[in-house]
Amino acid sequence: MSQLIKKRRIDSYALAWRLPIIVWQLLFFVGPLLFLIAMSFFLVKNYRMVETFDLANWARMFSKDYFWSSYLYTFGMASLATVVATLIAFPASYALAFKVSDNVRRWAVFFLIVPFFTSYLVRTFSWYVILAESGIVNSILGNVGLGPFKMLNTPFGTMVGFMTLVLPLLVILQTLSLSQIDKNLIEAAHNLGCGRIRTIYAVIIPLAKIGLVVGALFCFILSFGDFVSPYYLGGSSPPTLSILIIDTTKSGQQWPRAAVVAICMMTTLFVMAFLAIRFAYRKPAS
Amino acid sequence: MTEPLVKFRDVVKRFGNFIAVKRMDLDIYEGEFVAFMGPSGCGKTTTLRLLAGLETPSEGEIRLDGELMNEVKPHERETPLVWQSLALFPFLNARENVEFGLKMRGFDADVRREKATKWLERLGMGEFIERDVSQLSGGQRQRVALARALVTEPKILLLDEPLSALDAHLVIRMQGVLTKLQRELGITFVYVTHSQSEAFAMADRVVIMGEGNIQQVGSPREIYRTPKNRFVAEFVGRNNILSGTVQNVQTDTLVVKTPSGDFSVPNPEDRTFQVSDPISFSVSADLVTISVERSDADNCVECNLISEEFIGSVVTLFLEANDGTELKAQVQEKELEKIDPKLQISYYMSWPTRSAHVLENNPSEE
Repeated sequence: MSQLIKKRRIDSYALAWRLPIIVWQLLFFVGPLLFLIAMSFFLVKNYRMVETFDLANWARMFSKDYFWSSYLYTFGMASLATVVATLIAFPASYALAFKVSDNVRRWAVFFLIVPFFTSYLVRTFSWYVILAESGIVNSILGNVGLGPFKMLNTPFGTMVGFMTLVLPLLVILQTLSLSQIDKNLIEAAHNLGCGRIRTIYAVIIPLAKIGLVVGALFCFILSFGDFVSPYYLGGSSPPTLSILIIDTTKSGQQWPRAAVVAICMMTTLFVMAFLAIRFAYRKPAS
Repeated sequence: MTEPLVKFRDVVKRFGNFIAVKRMDLDIYEGEFVAFMGPSGCGKTTTLRLLAGLETPSEGEIRLDGELMNEVKPHERETPLVWQSLALFPFLNARENVEFGLKMRGFDADVRREKATKWLERLGMGEFIERDVSQLSGGQRQRVALARALVTEPKILLLDEPLSALDAHLVIRMQGVLTKLQRELGITFVYVTHSQSEAFAMADRVVIMGEGNIQQVGSPREIYRTPKNRFVAEFVGRNNILSGTVQNVQTDTLVVKTPSGDFSVPNPEDRTFQVSDPISFSVSADLVTISVERSDADNCVECNLISEEFIGSVVTLFLEANDGTELKAQVQEKELEKIDPKLQISYYMSWPTRSAHVLENNPSEE
């Protein structure tokens, strides 16, 4: 009997701590999400939303080529951004984790946080000066008789924007996960006949796998859902899914159709996150 | 005399202003079990890392099998090391860990598997070949680390305090495993430890290091019975160290005047002493006798009991001479009954002259 009472008391104590996050999640995550799903079955008549259950929005979006081409373009750009950012960030993170003093590493992490002081939108606009037809890059290239190259309003511009968004975060995540590696394991690899470059993929990457995959996942999520870069630097040509959402809501108050696009995006991200985390924590098959 | 497997010649290793190893000269022969022993920061681990190529000497030469090793990269050497932390790869299982070195040397998958399995079985790990490292106990991981280092059949195995993380009873077991293995394989083991019992139990030769210098090289027995200098005598412990000046020189004995009294010590053959020269000598704690009455032995000093350390059949008594000099005596537990120790009771410690041993100055004082 006394044991029962003790057990109940501990439970209510734990619940008291858990309650705020549960309430918060129900109010601001589960609630809106359920509403979004419900809304995707509503219809718009005379610019007014009618609460009903109709598959028309789903049928219409899935039958449109522009939806599928946006989806493929968005998915492709986010994947490319993930690969490019990971390849650019890794050498920097490797150097920061292993080839500099603790002091330099601390300052580097500090300076990598500085970009977050200003809005991403502001940073994106600053690329105009650099990438424009008469911008810094083209005037430098013009001096050696090259160009001008069209960089704004192209997928290249979008990619530059994505890198602005993800690189500082990615280098921080990778540096932190690489610097957690036990240096003895690296020396042990050398001691067993493993050269320096081979050690990177035979020992360092497997050891930092979780951090590297989580970093890559963030790249994908941020690029997949980003609106700013594809709109301002990519010139909406072709549109990504987030631009499609904006356009759909603007044209004829089609919130339910926008909800369909949003649900497709969220489902994609859920699946990608699930696969990435499962891959990160799985032991490599030998 | 065969050519030594390892030669250190005038090896110096500096880290900035700190000198970790000062002018080391040492030969290590094939098939020897050599233990480097010393307090932390004495340079023993640096010496091992120099051998493995994880550090490069600031000065001097290191030769392995006659070949100059100074500039040879660690991954180009055949000097496998067993790490204090074991450094097993957590993302590989036991067999894959053992196969790692073979994989780097380009062995085929089936050869790797066969060799790894053979070594794990030899070390009694037959049932755990496919286990994850995280599922193994400390002793089992130790064996995986050993198999991983030995699978490439090196001429020399380096061990950096490999037993320090194990429970006491496992340490004794692993000592047995290591000595047996070393004898069967006939390869050189270089073993770094701060534990006297490990070094003395396993090694053919012990190298005592202190402050970056080799203080003494010798068999465990030589080091125990005839410590070369004060550093070794203090480090090995259980030694009574007395200092004073020479008062009287005879052919085979010297009379030494110390604050605790006058004692006679054997006159060392390799050094000449004159009256009033400073001198230190040691008397091993297990060679002294404790009595309640003054004894008629060659040397006798009155002292008070401070504390005792009971570790089973042997008891160590910590005493203090009238001038405050610390003294130690190791006596059999059954003999203790005769003197009935109560704290702060006065005793006499005595020893024959031949039990005393004259110490040299520490190298850093020269």
